[in-house]
Amino acid sequence: MADSDLSDNEPTTRTLLRHVLDTEAPRTPRRRQSTRAGVQRAQPESPFSMRLRSQTKTTPRRQSHRARSIGRLAPHIQTKGQLKEQTPRTLLENILLTAPESSMVMPESVVKPVPAPQMVQLSSRESSPGSPDLQLPELNPPTAMAPSLLTSGKRKKRLRLSEFQQGMDQGLPLSQEPVTEPPANTGASSLTSSLNLTFATPLLPQSVQRPGLSRRPPPRRAVDVDIFLQDLQDTSVATALPGDRTPVATLPTDTVLEDTQPFSQPLIGRSPSVHHSLPHPSLSAERTVSRRTRSSGPGLQNNSPEKPAQLLAGKAEKVDALAMGFPNTSNGTSAEDELKPLLDRDGEEVEEIMEESMSLDEVKEAAGAQASARAEEPEAHMEVTEAEGAWGAIEAKEPERSSRDKDAEGRTARPELASSAPDIPQARQLEFLEPAPSTSTAGLSAEPLSARLPTRVRTAGPRLRQDPYKMGLSHYAKLFSFYAKMPMEKKALEMVEKCLDKYFQRLCDDLDVFAAHAGRKTVRLEDLELLMRRQGLVTDRVSLHVLVEQHLPLEYRQLLIPCAFSGNTVFPAQ
Amino acid sequence: MAVAATLSQRRRVKRKAPRGFLRRVFKRQKPHLHLGTRCDLLVHLNCLLFIRRLAEESRTDACKNKCGIIKDQHVLAAAKVMLKKSRG
Repeated sequence: MADSDLSDNEPTTRTLLRHVLDTEAPRTPRRRQSTRAGVQRAQPESPFSMRLRSQTKTTPRRQSHRARSIGRLAPHIQTKGQLKEQTPRTLLENILLTAPESSMVMPESVVKPVPAPQMVQLSSRESSPGSPDLQLPELNPPTAMAPSLLTSGKRKKRLRLSEFQQGMDQGLPLSQEPVTEPPANTGASSLTSSLNLTFATPLLPQSVQRPGLSRRPPPRRAVDVDIFLQDLQDTSVATALPGDRTPVATLPTDTVLEDTQPFSQPLIGRSPSVHHSLPHPSLSAERTVSRRTRSSGPGLQNNSPEKPAQLLAGKAEKVDALAMGFPNTSNGTSAEDELKPLLDRDGEEVEEIMEESMSLDEVKEAAGAQASARAEEPEAHMEVTEAEGAWGAIEAKEPERSSRDKDAEGRTARPELASSAPDIPQARQLEFLEPAPSTSTAGLSAEPLSARLPTRVRTAGPRLRQDPYKMGLSHYAKLFSFYAKMPMEKKALEMVEKCLDKYFQRLCDDLDVFAAHAGRKTVRLEDLELLMRRQGLVTDRVSLHVLVEQHLPLEYRQLLIPCAFSGNTVFPAQ
Repeated sequence: MAVAATLSQRRRVKRKAPRGFLRRVFKRQKPHLHLGTRCDLLVHLNCLLFIRRLAEESRTDACKNKCGIIKDQHVLAAAKVMLKKSRG
């Protein structure tokens, strides 16, 4: 058993884990004790085990494992002998010999109980102070437990391996001392805990960025400021031409092919890194401040009325703002050609959006409410990513613009944004948004957008009690026009609504009287039937059920007319 | 139940009754009263029948005046008659 472990010269996962397990300070074995075999429970508690139990339990499972095993080991030294034959330790040995090392995900039930008793015995050896050859056998249980504990991918395994190595090197001198020393245990445990922490942090951002898929981050190329600015100029010039989409369309395809991202926002994703690397000294200070607030919105709007040259400056500013507002991203290298196609692609949409925004400045306030609502939506998405606040301000501008026109382009831009938000850092989205509002040129669909705008303004107005009431009445007015089978005037429909209003009042009064007459406070079906009878709708010839069948859809008919079903049941129950 | 099964199978109901609207209107008019479970469906039926009769009446009025279009005075005259009829 020990020989096989000793023969492992290379630091495999098993050996390292074993070592960690041995060096790891035994924590409170309280949790595990209940699950352990009763034999070991019977052992009298030693001060060492008591000390172990007094320690905190907030340790990773591995530590608790080791703690339990090691804790139990000290008082149960004498049990080692009886556990020799057909013991979990021997079983673990066999497992280590036969099972493949790379089996990261091992059934816990198999591995956990097995290494625990083995740890017990190993730590028993360890308790005998200072024998270096015992260190190696102690490494085995940790390595055996590692596969079960490390339930992550191979990448993580390798990470932990290296970390383990480092940790083991540090933990080894500690392990030399007797196990009963709490400081050593705490040191090892803290080491492992720190190791665990280190494992967690690098993985988290990746998963947050792309929860759906786990892919390697796209390769980022170095950015050239001059080329980038030139591209911006070219973009604004190209987008200035009305209806000219072909030159723009060609550019994004290049970058799309470059990056095999699931969504079409790789351009967006790369662009922020581009911005990040762009050093624009002029506007950086202002942008960092304005980003947080919506003051950048008016700033952008000020830029929008200006011509493409100004837009370019605005774009550059925004780019710079993006670069500043992206502190967390350490991606300094990103292709600026990625940015360029992104800008070009957004240019068209941005143009139209900008067109409308410029033409509809006066109705900005009306759309402001919607804009804020829109801003909240993308912002909610953005919260997932890291650089949230900076982008949120800039994104608010975009909804302002797009809310005005409610353009299809704006909508497509935002859904793209929304979908990309959880995946791609906000900086990318921000970049996407920045060029969108910045470009202002002859809009392709400015007219329909402006036509659509008044309707949006109306809906954005305050909602009164009258509104839903009117909607309900108009619902019946439409039925009136259907029943009449003749063309009607608008005034006639309004008259119908007035009549309906009066009719409702009368209806409620009648029902009130009928219910009061029956001594009830709830209006029931009998009251309704009585009302219809008095109105002359229900006669001896025509019953209520007939009317229900004639005029109501099947679903309501099933609800109203009792019908017998299988199982000697009637629905609805009478 | 069979009823529930059929209801779930066909989600879309043609010419749905605005049950919420009717309940709200009744509550506004008579806050001290409660409306029964399926009473709003019958109220909807009542409204349908009322509107049907109103439309018929206004159509005959428009045809009497030899108008191809139903105007509000036709509707007004028809409503006067109908509200009298459906006094209850």
